[in-house]
Amino acid sequence: MEKLTKEEVLHVAHLARIEVSDEEIEKYRVQLGQLWSEVEKINEVKSDEEMLFITPIKEESLLRSDDEKEEMPFEEMKKNAKRTSGNFIEVPVMIHE
Amino acid sequence: MNNYFNLSIKELNEKLKKKEIKPLDLVEEAFSIIEQNQDLNAFITLNKDEAIQEAKELENMEVDNLLFGIPIAVKDNIMTKNLRTTCASKMLEDFIPVYDATVVRKIKEKHMIIIGKTNMDEFAMGSTSQTSYFKAPHNPWDKTRIAGGSSGGSATAVAAGMTMFALGSDTGGSIRQPASYTGLVGMKPTYGRVSRYGLVAFASSLDQIGPMTKHVYENALLLNAIVGKDDHDLTSVERKKEDFTALIGKDIKGMKIAVPNYFVSNIVDSEILEKFQQVVSLLQENGAVVSYVDLPYLDKAVTLYQIIAMGEASSNLARFDGVRYGYACKDPKDVEQLYCKSRQEGFGDEVKRRIMVGSYLLSGKNAKEYYDKALQIRSKMAKSFASCFEEFDIVIGPTTTTVAYPLGEGVDDPLQTFLDDVLVIPVNMAGLPGMNVPIGLSSSNMPVGMHLIGNYFEEQKMYQLASFLEQKLHFGQKEVQE
Repeated sequence: MEKLTKEEVLHVAHLARIEVSDEEIEKYRVQLGQLWSEVEKINEVKSDEEMLFITPIKEESLLRSDDEKEEMPFEEMKKNAKRTSGNFIEVPVMIHE
Repeated sequence: MNNYFNLSIKELNEKLKKKEIKPLDLVEEAFSIIEQNQDLNAFITLNKDEAIQEAKELENMEVDNLLFGIPIAVKDNIMTKNLRTTCASKMLEDFIPVYDATVVRKIKEKHMIIIGKTNMDEFAMGSTSQTSYFKAPHNPWDKTRIAGGSSGGSATAVAAGMTMFALGSDTGGSIRQPASYTGLVGMKPTYGRVSRYGLVAFASSLDQIGPMTKHVYENALLLNAIVGKDDHDLTSVERKKEDFTALIGKDIKGMKIAVPNYFVSNIVDSEILEKFQQVVSLLQENGAVVSYVDLPYLDKAVTLYQIIAMGEASSNLARFDGVRYGYACKDPKDVEQLYCKSRQEGFGDEVKRRIMVGSYLLSGKNAKEYYDKALQIRSKMAKSFASCFEEFDIVIGPTTTTVAYPLGEGVDDPLQTFLDDVLVIPVNMAGLPGMNVPIGLSSSNMPVGMHLIGNYFEEQKMYQLASFLEQKLHFGQKEVQE
């Protein structure tokens, strides 16, 4: 098992949108390396299979009818957002002058 | 204490019908046992006031089905309207759902009474429930040991007699493995049998909700209540109405049973193998035809699971960004930091590891090299099961390679949690139904389980075999001994 480099950990953390401290980087260098070594074993498997098994469901049409219905009022929906204002969910300012 | 939960569901139902007992008696008994066993950490959130109120409201209603007025525990990744649902994560520590999962709606329609939300691994990621933000549940058979996972709290609640019924969810063994560790019947139904609407998604092509009980009949009864096509889950499947209790007690003579050689190889503890072989002999003595077969790719299940489950998890858990719900970090300087810091502070280690590896697996050319390759092997595995079921009714093996081990063991090893589920993961890969049935106790007095795998939508046959084992081995009568 090979440890990941610091740069590799920072790269995967960025892809995952997870901030990592210096201490966490050191820990993940080992742990992610262990997980990756298991993932790599897929390369040992020989396969002539082309079909991708995406879901066990065999039904062809998975679409429901496109009807408009109100299932939940917005007032309910926004109950769990930490920052709201009227009918909006607030996020930090995205564009600075 | 009246030990109501040691009665059968039919006996309880009779008593309720004759008004010898009230639903409130059952709810009070459940909370009395829960309170005596708080150290087991079976629940994250109790629903006591609401359960008592519900029980009182039921007193004047007609007892119209076997599940009427019966308490049930629900795993904490299944949405319950106005009842906190945390997924055992700091991320959802104060999350109150605004709607019920379809399974919750269905059990409420039967007038079952939800007594609380059970402990689990954070976002169902783990095999010991030790990744819970709320401290791990303990195994009632030996409090120093794990209850298994991820549905460890549901297993603990039923095994300790706090309730007869619990719902769990199973992505890579999370119903069957804790059921094995705690001596329960645990069913992961065929993928698509049960709506996943309101189940907080982990790996959507693998997740299924299923029942956990002490007895086979009760298990089938709860499955009857929760199955069905649901417009809110397009992967749920339309089937004609079935009664999963229909074949219970029927003779197993002539049943063709396959044992894959890998399931009885040296990866399994010798004591478990010995118990398993005794049951194989019992099946043969009673007219079942048992054959040993080679099923390819079973040894690759953990690798496949890692790639597919971590990939899907990274995508599903992208929704936890500190904006619409869940934990939000303090004073972020911009949106990017709101996402990244909320996720750093809100998720535990196991979840973060899986999201990171999963994100990497799905990025750029890795998606083809690893993810597509895994889906191709998954296809192979499903085909090998399909050809096996052309010849056999049921596939069996041990459920776990060991009995429940001590709490704290393996917590620093990120691979251990995957290896615990090596025998049960293939079922999720193919979307088949899988079930644990207890077959005895080890020399350390811990439960040992047998894994039954059925063909798609053949749960009835599995309950038939499970009921035979229950009758012969009397496992429903083995209670936790302090």
